[in-house]
Amino acid sequence: MLYRTNAKSLLVTTAIISWVLLLLNILISVEAIDQPNAVKVSIPFVNNFLIVIFIISVFLYQRLSSENLKGIDFIGYLWHLFSKAGVAAYVSVALYLGYKLITNYTNIESPSLLHFVYQINFGLLVIFLAKAFYIWRQLLLYHKNKFLQIAWDWFELLVFGTLLLTLLNFNYTSYIFLPLLALLSFYVLFLCTNMKWVAYLTFNNKSRSLVLLGAILLSCYIFVNFFQQMADSPSLVIDYTDVGFLLLAMLFVGLYTLAAFLVSLFSLPTSSVFEQKSEDLLNFQRLSQSIQQGQSEAQVYDMLFESTIKASDASAAWFELIRNSEPQVTHLLSINAEQITRIRHLLLAYNIQNIDYINNNLDRNPGFRDLTLPWKSLIILPIKSKKHLSGNLYLLKDIEQGFDRETVNVLRTFTSQTILTIENLRLVSESLLNERYKEELKIATQVQESLIPKTFPTDSWFEISTHAVAAKEVGGDFYDFLQLSESRIAIIIGDVSGKGISAAFHMAQMKGIFHGLMQQDMPPSEFMKQANSALSRCLEKTSFITSALYIIDYRMKGFMFARAGHCHTLYYNSMMEDVFYFQTDGLGLGIIRDKSYNNHVREMYYDYNPNDVMVIYTDGIVEARSLENEEYGEDRLKYMLTQTYHLEAEDIKCAIINDLEEFTGPGNLYDDQTLLVIKFKPTQPNE
Amino acid sequence: MKITQEIKESTVIMTLDGELDASSSVILDEELSDPEIMKYSKILVDCEKLNYISSAGLGVFISHLQRFEDAQIKLIFYNMQDKVRNVFEILGLDLLMTIVSDYEEARTVSNE
Repeated sequence: MLYRTNAKSLLVTTAIISWVLLLLNILISVEAIDQPNAVKVSIPFVNNFLIVIFIISVFLYQRLSSENLKGIDFIGYLWHLFSKAGVAAYVSVALYLGYKLITNYTNIESPSLLHFVYQINFGLLVIFLAKAFYIWRQLLLYHKNKFLQIAWDWFELLVFGTLLLTLLNFNYTSYIFLPLLALLSFYVLFLCTNMKWVAYLTFNNKSRSLVLLGAILLSCYIFVNFFQQMADSPSLVIDYTDVGFLLLAMLFVGLYTLAAFLVSLFSLPTSSVFEQKSEDLLNFQRLSQSIQQGQSEAQVYDMLFESTIKASDASAAWFELIRNSEPQVTHLLSINAEQITRIRHLLLAYNIQNIDYINNNLDRNPGFRDLTLPWKSLIILPIKSKKHLSGNLYLLKDIEQGFDRETVNVLRTFTSQTILTIENLRLVSESLLNERYKEELKIATQVQESLIPKTFPTDSWFEISTHAVAAKEVGGDFYDFLQLSESRIAIIIGDVSGKGISAAFHMAQMKGIFHGLMQQDMPPSEFMKQANSALSRCLEKTSFITSALYIIDYRMKGFMFARAGHCHTLYYNSMMEDVFYFQTDGLGLGIIRDKSYNNHVREMYYDYNPNDVMVIYTDGIVEARSLENEEYGEDRLKYMLTQTYHLEAEDIKCAIINDLEEFTGPGNLYDDQTLLVIKFKPTQPNE
Repeated sequence: MKITQEIKESTVIMTLDGELDASSSVILDEELSDPEIMKYSKILVDCEKLNYISSAGLGVFISHLQRFEDAQIKLIFYNMQDKVRNVFEILGLDLLMTIVSDYEEARTVSNE
């Protein structure tokens, strides 16, 4: 950056110095002509050298500054060119006229003043050419390819090469160089065909650019005219038309300006098509980006309505949203509710509803003719995904054949993009909703966990160890206990059919029933009967609950239990050194919902010995499956107890769970699993 | 889960093939809820290829049990695998429902 600023100021200084020196040199030459006695010092080489230096520095300066121009503000470029360089031509005219006025007024011919004006105009010309040359380069290379870039680089090199002619004081009009110059001119013509930027101007921009281009053309003409007139003036010691470079640069600038002017002029009628297409594109973009911008469905429909009307140039339109399969008009354009109702009735009569429909000649249809509508073409575009109809768009035009294939294609693209956007918006909001459900499920999990007791009363006569995991966030397994009296404790285990939220609710209900009924201290079979009756009223038809209730009496050294469809209790009797399942009958709760249930539940009493072990579990344990789809099964559970009954309750539980996990493999949990191990301990001697 | 129905005079023979879990029990429920089925007096359920029954599957049979009983339609299961039968037994359903060993027996029981 610093380098560039330095280079710029250096170039400006060089330009000014060379120009001043040139001026001085010329003025000296003029003086020399005035005084015939003086020695004629002809120094064309010095002049040419200074000219070349001046031209190069001005061009290089413009080359450096033009690189700052970026973007596609083409009008800005043209305005920049006109205001900073094109005006120079008018200044030069003013100067020349001023000189003429002074000489006419004073009647004195002043060669020095003439040369001074001429010299200033030369400076202005070079600045104008340099500016125009490099701004045209920017535009010419817009959307460039490699070939064009190379072509331009060569052109620039060749044009600058012609400065050598001036430097060596060759006459470029000599026969040797003329063909070369002619070739260069063709080169210029070829370059002038590159004006892609014109296509990006809108109609308004084109009209403005025509004015600016006209003004620049005029600048070119003024300069050409001025230097042409002065070319053969005998009163001048120097003639800048001899500089071939300037001629070529002027040729390029003039031709390119002319070409741009003509192209703009002739593309004026078609520019609206291009504008429409680019606006369609922009609207597609807006539609597809509306998800990221967090826009609502209503805004998407707004966009659709506006875009399709613009794209089809419709004279009237309406959009109806389908809410609860009832159409509801949300957008209107140049049509009243009464006309909509009439059209809709007619469409209903023709059974044209919610389908793609185009009628490009409404007058030919007697039904529409009778409606005496001011329109002649109609298109219906349903906003419809595979499953869901969101709405219908109706567009009307007051001419026949209003919706040609091209327009219909664009409209269809709009509607399908809208469908996609709406679907995506719904997906986004659904996923947000899912997030919320997940949060609520987390709370449900915590609530449920608090329903299951973490600690059992520790006592000297028994120890208990528990294990419970749910397959989903909330489960249907449960267990609980209630101290009935000092020596009696009730323990319940249960499993609600199904999983998830509904099971969790019934589980909570069952806990309530357990605590409510057992306050009255009743035998297990009575509890089951009453629980069945209570659940019959609130359980849905396909749900049922299996449960087992144990009331352990420490003083009597025995327990009473009833099973309601729950898994058989696994038991180790230390006296007989036997492991077995209690085979008792008992029907699940909620299966029979009348008094006849009472015949389906049995009660059992069992005396326990010290060191006996009782294993209570849910079907999630015995029905757990291995990766080979085999069930864990009652036999394996029984075998595990025969191996571990001598351990503490906690260790027995851990051994069984470890074996189970080894069997199923990690992360292979499909049902809630609950396991309680109770070990009766020998009576303490001091008791 | 594949459920096929075969009709022989006044009998519907329903064959269950596969695992009756939460998702397939919905299909079973649809089949059993079909009003057409009430025209027949016997429903024989062939459980030979029924590998597994979940509580949801049991729930479907339980929910229709009372309805069939009221309409005096006999619901008979036969050819049941041991582990499936065990599930019925644990829940106490073997005392509520008729579970027999094979088709012949099922026919005999249904004609009683």
